[in-house]
Amino acid sequence: MTRFPDDIEAALAAAAPAGIALKRDTDAKGVTVAWCTLADRRDLLPAATVLKARGARLSTITAFQPKPPDVEEGAEPPPPPPAGVVIDGQAYELAYHFDLDGDTLTLVVLLPHDAAEVDSLTPLFRNADWAEREFMEIYAIRVAGHPDPRRLFIDESVEPAVLERLIPFSTLVNAASTSTLWEKIMTKKEEAKKGGAS
Amino acid sequence: MNAFTIPVGPLHVALEEPMYFKVEVEGETVVSVDITAGHVHRGIEYLATKRSLYQNITLTERICSLCSNSHPETFCMAVERIAGVRLPERAEYLRVVAGEIKRIASHLFNVAIMAHLIGFDSLFMHVMETREVMQDVKESLFGNRMDLGANVIGGVRYDLDAERGAYLAAQMDRMDRDLAEIAHLYATNHSILQRTRGVGVLSHADALACAVVGPVARASGVAYDVRVKAPYAAYDRLDVPVHIERDGDVWSRAVTRLTEARAAVDLIRQCLRAMPEGPVAVAGRPAVPDGEAIAKCEAPRGELIYYLRTDGGKTPERLKWRVPSYMNWDALGIMMTGAKVADVPLIVNSIDPCISCTER
Repeated sequence: MTRFPDDIEAALAAAAPAGIALKRDTDAKGVTVAWCTLADRRDLLPAATVLKARGARLSTITAFQPKPPDVEEGAEPPPPPPAGVVIDGQAYELAYHFDLDGDTLTLVVLLPHDAAEVDSLTPLFRNADWAEREFMEIYAIRVAGHPDPRRLFIDESVEPAVLERLIPFSTLVNAASTSTLWEKIMTKKEEAKKGGAS
Repeated sequence: MNAFTIPVGPLHVALEEPMYFKVEVEGETVVSVDITAGHVHRGIEYLATKRSLYQNITLTERICSLCSNSHPETFCMAVERIAGVRLPERAEYLRVVAGEIKRIASHLFNVAIMAHLIGFDSLFMHVMETREVMQDVKESLFGNRMDLGANVIGGVRYDLDAERGAYLAAQMDRMDRDLAEIAHLYATNHSILQRTRGVGVLSHADALACAVVGPVARASGVAYDVRVKAPYAAYDRLDVPVHIERDGDVWSRAVTRLTEARAAVDLIRQCLRAMPEGPVAVAGRPAVPDGEAIAKCEAPRGELIYYLRTDGGKTPERLKWRVPSYMNWDALGIMMTGAKVADVPLIVNSIDPCISCTER
């Protein structure tokens, strides 16, 4: 038994003429999680409008740069992704998670790194404001039509796209000091041994 | 009359954590509020992708202290969904027990601070003393007063034998009595009613527009509770009442929390009665293939949602979560506009603010 509206796939397909790919899964307690990938990111606003009309609540937005798929040598290349954007480790995936009275429907759009622009959902969903500002400051994604595109958490003095640019502190210190210190200790130990033997 | 701007924060006596408000006032009335966030932004989402799935149970428990159990619980639910693990029935009940213990302690802390802000310090101390019973329960059952360390992938890592079960039941009897008395005070005391009724109102329409969740939403008449709408753990077999208020003011939010704390006592009793014998976790470490999952739970402040993407390796490819407090800051602007400056700390407290959660 599921409450998930069966006609939502047709409604989303009508709103997104470039095409959609929808999969859904209902767990043992009757809660459905559905994923709808839009072939064209320009269909995001019309698709979100369909969900708004059905009383959906925007839970949150996840932005990330998916890893490129592993291709073994000599194997067939993977099928092109549904959105026509090559997953090269630089492209972005944006996942808009909507709540439909307990069930979750996620709209997925892919953006190429060199043309990473997407429409703002803030005019439709007031709470998209912070979520969009947050991914704008950690990635080089532009949001068209955001009413207030200020920094959210990170100070204006920090250059944008921190998640694409900053080197982790652990990488930094491993490369700079740990092995040097270890070699110094080993060298001294060897020297002490030699000194003791002679 | 000329408007002027009062800075409140980032460090302020009435705030537990750093947040910077620019409150524009005309006379004594707040005209608008601007918020500058990011004072405790720690980049935990990035750190999570550098930690193994098992290390992340420990990491997520440390995002926030008051809802510290909800984070690892929801994270484990996301991993379990990808790995296709079904919890043993006893583990499902034990997850509810841990979650509801944390809910009582969290809600009492918030309503206690409200009494303190009103200047009713004897009530503040009385509520904190009652909350201390829950702190003792946590310390006795889990060994810690804040971080329970209750969750593992595929179950829980604590059990209630006959002696511990009897101890918990006895403490719940005591809480039931004390909470009834406290709830009566908040519902009838003149000082409380005068300072909190009609103050910091969030209308039903604004609550929907801001997409707030948890007690803040339910105090404005939005009947949404993840435990009922998207049941997890053992909630599909328990009687979970969803309490709503209509007025959306500071008082309604406090009353909603107190009612939910009393309901949590009842939920723990229901679990103690219905919990079957059996294992508390699946055996061994399940293999986690590549996949993606959504998991939600009703944290003390409302819906907590996790998104997990795995690539079959040890670490998550992406881990994202949105805490219930995230939408409350926008709603706070609506609650404060038109309010008296003297009521600003009370209104801020009424959203049960959690900044370490919001900024991660």
